[in-house]
Amino acid sequence: MHIPDGILPAKVCIGGYAIAGLATWYALRQIRHDPDPTQSIPRASLLTAAFFIASSISIPVPPASVHLVLNGLLGALLGYYAFPAILVGLFFQAVIIGHGGLTTLGVNAVMMGIPALIAHHVFQGRSYVTRWWKDRIALGVFAFLAGAVGIGLSALIFFGLVVTTIPATFDASTERAAVYGLTLAHIPLMVIEGTFTAFIVLFLNRVKPELFPAKEHLS
Amino acid sequence: MFGTARHAYAHGVSMSYQTTEVIEIQGKYDSGEPMADAQVAVYAPDDPSTPWLTGTADDQGVFMFKPDLSQPGNWEVQFRLAGHGDIMTIPVDAESNPVGTRGSTGGLNSVQKLIVFGAMTWGFVGTALYFSGRKQRMQKSADSGLQSTPSQF
Repeated sequence: MHIPDGILPAKVCIGGYAIAGLATWYALRQIRHDPDPTQSIPRASLLTAAFFIASSISIPVPPASVHLVLNGLLGALLGYYAFPAILVGLFFQAVIIGHGGLTTLGVNAVMMGIPALIAHHVFQGRSYVTRWWKDRIALGVFAFLAGAVGIGLSALIFFGLVVTTIPATFDASTERAAVYGLTLAHIPLMVIEGTFTAFIVLFLNRVKPELFPAKEHLS
Repeated sequence: MFGTARHAYAHGVSMSYQTTEVIEIQGKYDSGEPMADAQVAVYAPDDPSTPWLTGTADDQGVFMFKPDLSQPGNWEVQFRLAGHGDIMTIPVDAESNPVGTRGSTGGLNSVQKLIVFGAMTWGFVGTALYFSGRKQRMQKSADSGLQSTPSQF
């Protein structure tokens, strides 16, 4: 899922940094609206660590192998903190374990961070159904959707970026077929990440229910 | 590879072999899986933009080629498969053959990775504990009559 250095043209990498910069500015602006912005930093720190380590957990999906991303989980639990958390996590992954790259840091941040923000809004969408659904069911279903949407959108962005930037040096049809295969391999991962996100959210709801206020319209 | 040249005879067939020096590269993912059927581009030192040779790795992610020794310098080999890949630089001497020199594009071994994970996790958890502790201290101050906000794990 992480795009390494040397795969994308310079224009795309620069564009990635530009969009990542805008997204970071917007996320920090939203965070500033919190009454106490430092309140969520411990949670963001722990989930940044989880995100950092998740990429090393490979799941064999024949014929390929995929790894956890957890951007949907971060979106559900952190809201707008998810974007800077993912940006920091990606930086450390690139520098320390060589996942991704520094030239593609912006692109990777957009690819995983923006779906995390969308996953956050998907998760907040549970407020529209709590009138008819039990809180725990709404939490579980929307956490699953957030986890699945996060990784699913990231896989689609990855697919779009890689397929449209195949250099003339390589056989485009062969590369395209390989990218198709890898993208399809992320469908089982959507189920895994959705289930994992639902499990974590339901667990946290049991031990710390004030994290997920119910019966009110969430912004 | 060294050996003595030999011939094998059969009905109407003549076979022979000779030793030569080739560069063998294996592409692997971070997980250790070979980059089976990866596309490979080899660039000669005097033209780093036009591939000198293109090909496909085998099912073990192995690609072999014989460099042109009349072009000494840094040869670059690029592997690519499904948006993943890497570039490796191989120095080739006009006189000495490149076979026998082993290289890698790097990466940490499992022990180093474990240490890194431990250190990073401790750093992140330490940050979390610091803020949690700070919040708890603020909570205690609030209980003593000062204004504060409840902590979040």
